[in-house]
Amino acid sequence: MLREKYKDEIEQILSRYPVRRSALLPLLWLAQTEEEYVTEAAMKEIAGILRITPPQVYEVVTFYTMFNLRPVGKFHIQVCKSLMCGLVGSDVLLGWLQARLGISPGQTTPDRLFTLSTVECLASCGTGPMMQINDEYYERVTEERVDRILADLKRDGTSPLKSGPFILPQLAGSEK
Amino acid sequence: MATTTTETVRLTIDGVPVTVPKGTLVIEAARQMGVMIPHFCYHPKLKPDANCRMCLVEIERMPKLQTSCSTPVAEGMVVHTATTVVNEAHKSVLEFILANHPLDCPVCDQGGRCDLQDFSHEYTPTTSRFLEVKRVFPKEYFSALIETQMNRCVQCLRCVRYCDEVMDVKALAPSGRGTMTEIKHFTTHQLDCEFCGGCVQICPVGAITSRLDLYEFRPWMLKRADTVCTYCGDGCHITIQTKGNDLIEVNSAHGAGRNNGDLCARGFFGYHATTHPDRLQSPLLRRNGELVPATWEEALEFVAETCIALKLKHGPDAFAGLIASRCTNEDLYVFQKFMRLVIGTNRIDGSARYGHINGVRALRRVQGTHRWTVAFEDIVGAEVLLLVGTNITETNPITGLKVKEAVKKYNATLLTIEALVPAIGTISNIANLSAHHFSVHPERFGNVVLGLIKAVVEGGLVAQTLTQRAPAYVEAISQTLRAIPWETLESVTGATSQALMEAARAFVAARRAVVLVGQGVLRTPGGFGVATNLLDLLLLTGKHDRPGCGLAPLAEENNDQGAVEMGALAEFLPGPSDLDDRAARERLAGLWKEELPQRPGATLMQILGDARAGNVKALFVVGENPIGSLPRAAQAKEALERLELLVCQELFLTDTARLAHVVLPACSYAEKDGTFTNTEGHVQAVRHAIDPIGESRPDWEILSALSVLMGYPIEYGDAKEILKEIRNLIPGYGLLGPAPATPRSDEAVVERYLREGYAEDVGARYQLTGAGSFDMAQPATSSAESDRRDAGKVKDGLQLTLVVGQTLFHSGKLSTRAKGLMEVQNAGSLGLNPSDADRIGVTDGDRVRLVNQAGEMTTSVRRLDRVPEGMAVFPEHFDEEARRLLTVSVDPVTQVPYCKSAKVRIERL
Ligand code: SF4
Ligand code: SF4
Ligand code: SF4
Ligand code: FES
Ligand code: FES
Repeated sequence: MLREKYKDEIEQILSRYPVRRSALLPLLWLAQTEEEYVTEAAMKEIAGILRITPPQVYEVVTFYTMFNLRPVGKFHIQVCKSLMCGLVGSDVLLGWLQARLGISPGQTTPDRLFTLSTVECLASCGTGPMMQINDEYYERVTEERVDRILADLKRDGTSPLKSGPFILPQLAGSEK
Repeated sequence: MATTTTETVRLTIDGVPVTVPKGTLVIEAARQMGVMIPHFCYHPKLKPDANCRMCLVEIERMPKLQTSCSTPVAEGMVVHTATTVVNEAHKSVLEFILANHPLDCPVCDQGGRCDLQDFSHEYTPTTSRFLEVKRVFPKEYFSALIETQMNRCVQCLRCVRYCDEVMDVKALAPSGRGTMTEIKHFTTHQLDCEFCGGCVQICPVGAITSRLDLYEFRPWMLKRADTVCTYCGDGCHITIQTKGNDLIEVNSAHGAGRNNGDLCARGFFGYHATTHPDRLQSPLLRRNGELVPATWEEALEFVAETCIALKLKHGPDAFAGLIASRCTNEDLYVFQKFMRLVIGTNRIDGSARYGHINGVRALRRVQGTHRWTVAFEDIVGAEVLLLVGTNITETNPITGLKVKEAVKKYNATLLTIEALVPAIGTISNIANLSAHHFSVHPERFGNVVLGLIKAVVEGGLVAQTLTQRAPAYVEAISQTLRAIPWETLESVTGATSQALMEAARAFVAARRAVVLVGQGVLRTPGGFGVATNLLDLLLLTGKHDRPGCGLAPLAEENNDQGAVEMGALAEFLPGPSDLDDRAARERLAGLWKEELPQRPGATLMQILGDARAGNVKALFVVGENPIGSLPRAAQAKEALERLELLVCQELFLTDTARLAHVVLPACSYAEKDGTFTNTEGHVQAVRHAIDPIGESRPDWEILSALSVLMGYPIEYGDAKEILKEIRNLIPGYGLLGPAPATPRSDEAVVERYLREGYAEDVGARYQLTGAGSFDMAQPATSSAESDRRDAGKVKDGLQLTLVVGQTLFHSGKLSTRAKGLMEVQNAGSLGLNPSDADRIGVTDGDRVRLVNQAGEMTTSVRRLDRVPEGMAVFPEHFDEEARRLLTVSVDPVTQVPYCKSAKVRIERL
């Protein structure tokens, strides 16, 4: 139960909004950080905390590609499929990833290392095609870079090709 | 309150000048002058969402096309709804929708009444430029009653918005995004909601349909009958659609009836009860101890002969009659006339005795009306609403929608005194909308009312005019209340004096205040007193004679109010007039050309008592089922077993009918004509939708046939003739307008009440009830709490108050024959607060035993957040066993048998 484990964080999140329901996204993010995906139990619990119905939580979870409704692999590759990236070849990038990983969007490799998703614009339109892996951006991605990134991730768990660091939304209470 | 502003705006639509109220939307202004602008997402019941873009129009001096569904009119606006540009826009929007629509009209139940079909027919070319594959959603099972076919969805979100804005249920989620948006419930779970059918009705296409009539019809094959629902006092308009003699579906058009086209599950999905295979097909006569089929002649002759013989031997007062409030006014009227003239007794009573009579008697006593002085429009228009023991969502769902509309749309302040904990659940919970909520057990509703009145009198909130007009009355109430210290009040209500004071202030501040009182009060000991006290509250605050203010007791059965007005109760003649009202008796005798019986009437419990004592020999029961409704402690069975003649007019062989000597098959509401009077006092037409099942006949017709055989003919050609006679007695009765003409309170009666009437029982009415006898609504922090937690360990069980009551999905026992409703709820289970459930260590589906001195029962548990601690609720529709535990006490004034609750010990099995 989130309520027991993150009592203070939840209080802190709730205190930030004049309308209780507004705390939905941060709470979902908290739930996802906890379990790596948003479980049904978490959705119900959050509905209870915010006094809305579970369908109202579910609706929001399904709207944002940022939230996963199923467990994902160690590296969650999210390829931007919106217009700008589309114009500069996101379909080639996606095709290459599919070929290299042997999975289609929505799937996870059998070794549970990689999950491939397509998402809407990630606000990096000037540097497309681009993708996000876990919390990191990879911009102007070419086939050759994809190969290097995948190899790096497998070997080191990270890749120097990532851009950033960027300011990520801080998880409430985690700022030290 | 609906925009009552008289400010108007002039504009031109398609060259025609129009004047409409300020704030009107362009689409509505156009509709008013007969121009239909195509639309999907717009619906007058919902807030504009402007998501479908179908309603684009050209407005001069605006740069782009505008959505007419979200644009309010402005002075001098010039609108064009049919220019080339506009038509092109309609065409493109449809082209986008059709890019994904499966066009499976041949297998779609919406075919023939589908907005998409109609608009496509009007605006689209027959070919599409799209070559792409259409979107296909995997088919998912949605629910037993509601089917979804998401490939057909045009994503207008009307269903979602209806479920939220109107119903406050919020069961539907538009999941995903863009074209792939799909209407779902919660992940892959089956729909669990109020099943009001609203989403089915409001979906402009065939994406959400009813499963009860899936693939069974085309709209043009159906015959329609506009009539009134029989499942509760709200009296919703319904259109029953039939094919041959089969009921296919029920719906209600937007704008229709008092319900404005909204229905609840009972109305929308409950229609199959009428055609259940168990319906009695022919009369039954007891021969050699067995009920066997007989002809109408045999059965009626037997009844007539036996009656004549019994009357000779024992006199007319050895007879009595009971009639259900599900009967039409015509049935009720003929019934009381039959009993009074043909038999010669006043000993009749009916189901309004179970509680509704308490509200009616309070109104008559204090303000001289038998009806509300307000109507649904006043609820919607109220600034403050006080709900006392209504459990409105489950008992009077459509009145509940009016309350929701007042609060959600027009920002009324809601005060609630209910046995409800505010909580999100699968059905809506009125306490969630409440600004000042007092959660107490039914026995203590009255205490909170006293608290409010104490706050009024001690907070200087009594209306000046009243203090001058009736100083003694104000002083008497103040004095009795002064004797109850705030601390005591706080401890028996669980509410602080501050909270009560705030609520009282909110009540007083409002110009329009409506008080709704429900069965939770009216069927609980002291109900008559609490209803009277609520009228005191209106009097003290100077509101009772203000327009838009009043007390509204909610009728549970659909024609409880009609039963009162037709005089089918022990204390009333038609009108209603009091049984001993000389003038009324003379008028009636003149009209009937016959003297009325002199001796007093008898109420339900008196009749049963007399039968048990052997003083009542013959009983006519029309649609009533005392054995199935009263607890075992009422000994109804023992009473009926002693009768020499028990005649039952029934749809089914009920527990009571099983004991009868003669059972006469009666028509249901769907097979007869007549009128029902709803809880507001609005008289509405009932029209037959199908032919009588088997040999059944309308109740009035059966009684009329009997009267002929008994040599005392009261004959009518049809129901209309009866209504005509009723109108002679009650001028203007049932003129069937769109809204009830609400009476004003009778100032002479009010004057009498203020001067002396109140004094009869003011001391008794202003006493705390239920104090000390059990603990409930205790704050969960007290040490008593932890004691209880320890004491409440499995072995000794937990003490609770069992309340047997109405649920949303059923009405009496009748609806348990409706297959649609049985899909939602087909057995009783015990609703328990989760903390109480934890105390005895049970979870959903676990079995428990309930025990008290009267008996015991076992059942399964359902954890419900909305049930307060210390209480357990059980549906009365499946109360066969629960009735063993209940006790009966009879109201000393109104003779209402209070039998809805009991103290029990609960233990886990
Ligand atoms: S049937 Fe259920 S989902 Fe549909 S509107 Fe009614 S409550 Fe909502
Ligand atoms: S299911 Fe019907 S009402 Fe709901 S969004 Fe789709 S088309 Fe509109
Ligand atoms: S049961 Fe009551 S609220 Fe429901 S449809 Fe019938 S009359 Fe309306
Ligand atoms: S379109 Fe790809 S980041 Fe904006
Ligand atoms: S009806 Fe106006 S945008 Fe849908």
